[in-house]
Amino acid sequence: MEKILLIEDEELIIRLLGKKLASIGYEITLAMDGQEGLEKMRENRPDLILLDIIMPKKGGFEVMEEMKKDPALAKIPVIIISNSGQPLELEKAKKLGAADWLVKTEFDPKEVVEKIKKHI
Amino acid sequence: MIQNNNDKNSDSQSAPAARAAKEIFAAELEGLNDKLAERDAELLRLQEERDAEIRELNEVKAQLEEAKSILEIRVSAKTKELRDLTANLGKEVEERTRELRGKIEESEHSRVALMNMLEDMEDLRRRAEEEKEKTLAIITNFADGLLFFDSSDCLALANPQIEAYFGASKEDVLSLIGKKIGGLENVAGFKPLVELVGGSLQKISRKELFLSDKLVLEVSSLEVAGRHGKIGTLVTIHDITREKTVERMKTEFVSIAAHQLRTPISAIKWTLRMILDGDLGPITEEQRDFLDKTYKSNERMINLINDLLNVTRIEEGRHLYNLILVNLEDIVYALAGTYSELLKQKNLSLEFKKPEKPLPQVKIDVEKMRLVVSNLIENAIKYTPVGGTISVSIVSDGANMRVSVRDTGMGILKDQEERIFTKYFRGSNAIRMETEGTGLGLFIAKNIVETHGGSIGFVSQEGKGTTFTFTVPLASSAAPKT
Repeated sequence: MEKILLIEDEELIIRLLGKKLASIGYEITLAMDGQEGLEKMRENRPDLILLDIIMPKKGGFEVMEEMKKDPALAKIPVIIISNSGQPLELEKAKKLGAADWLVKTEFDPKEVVEKIKKHI
Repeated sequence: MIQNNNDKNSDSQSAPAARAAKEIFAAELEGLNDKLAERDAELLRLQEERDAEIRELNEVKAQLEEAKSILEIRVSAKTKELRDLTANLGKEVEERTRELRGKIEESEHSRVALMNMLEDMEDLRRRAEEEKEKTLAIITNFADGLLFFDSSDCLALANPQIEAYFGASKEDVLSLIGKKIGGLENVAGFKPLVELVGGSLQKISRKELFLSDKLVLEVSSLEVAGRHGKIGTLVTIHDITREKTVERMKTEFVSIAAHQLRTPISAIKWTLRMILDGDLGPITEEQRDFLDKTYKSNERMINLINDLLNVTRIEEGRHLYNLILVNLEDIVYALAGTYSELLKQKNLSLEFKKPEKPLPQVKIDVEKMRLVVSNLIENAIKYTPVGGTISVSIVSDGANMRVSVRDTGMGILKDQEERIFTKYFRGSNAIRMETEGTGLGLFIAKNIVETHGGSIGFVSQEGKGTTFTFTVPLASSAAPKT
């Protein structure tokens, strides 16, 4: 089964989403900040990453910048999960190579799964 | 005389012969008699002459008498006449005097009035002078920068604030007096102003001029008219740096607050969703009912926060980010297809009249334009009773794309038409039909459309339906508001 790394500092969200994805059968790894996320992706090379933007230690954009520099990580599809749908952020995420973008208030876990399926 | 002559003759012939003497004497006597006779005749003649004279005199006297009496009559007549005249004259003089007195009084009044007028004039002049001084003092000390162009569009007046705003010296500004607006460029600091105002002095309402982070000005230009037409054009320049800072802080605050609110609200949304979907184990019907309602409340909160964010973005004037050239009909078509669930619930049909020929592309902020179209479609769905029809169409009229959303809904009340695009306004019939709503949708739509250089309007008939139409200019040079 595909491996998904979930990087998100909001505990409730990460638990809910982790549970939902696990129930479908994905192999889930959780990280609570950007730094931890980078470490985890280097360890187990996920097939897809769900990434929050605003997080302690390292934000989502910094994580993407570092991924870009690392050929082993650069090709992993990243779906941004954010609280904001601000076009400026969206633009920046696209430039950094994000595969997709979703705003938490506008999606629910079921729809997140649908998005994931498009990119795996 | 004659007697004297006789005496002389007798003296000379007395002595020689008596006869002779007698003769002589006789002769002389005779002569004397003759002479006497002559004399008598003379006397008689004289007497006659005298009588004649007396007669004449008498005649003259009589004539005189007559003349005198005539004269007397005349004199008395004249006297009477004079007396009458005098009497009349008295009256007339009296009348005239009265008249004159009246005239004098009148002229006295006039004089007083004239004096008063002169005093008033003096007063007015003094006041005008004072007013002028006051006006000048106001202009000089006015907090805003003022430029006054006369009726032939030449700079006539500039107050000291202008120097500070545009980094010019007093001499610089003085050198611009008499110049047209374009001529202000002679002093380097004025270039941004000239660029903003343009080559001629047209009406400008509160255009913002960013000179630096520390100086933001608001420029307005207004034709000033007196009773007899155009006096000139007044350009007022107001420092809005502080307002801009506060506005930015306010927007940032609302933006941060809204984003902060979104985090817990998403957590609530996702939790409820997963419970409702059975991902966290089975629930009772009653629990489902409550959680379902809670979920819907939470959705309303999300919409409210989204609207708030949109409003702050509009007010901040950075609503358009991403202008790209696209086919608007594709966007409308895609959007129109996303409402099947809602339409089914109310048994509404939605028709989209896709244009026969492909339409020209427009340069728009896709996300924002989607917001406009979805606001209009969602309103149509919300305010159309069960079984109604909504039709969406898009055409190009050569200069604009025209997107229309027509419904068979409740319509907009005539007396509320003017306010329909006002922030937070909701039609009273709309509130009755659908209690939920922020009154921001159309406000946001109007702002987005106008920022794109288009316009939005509607025709509506109460109880029959409404058609909203908005335009997007084809040669859109839409740029984010700055």
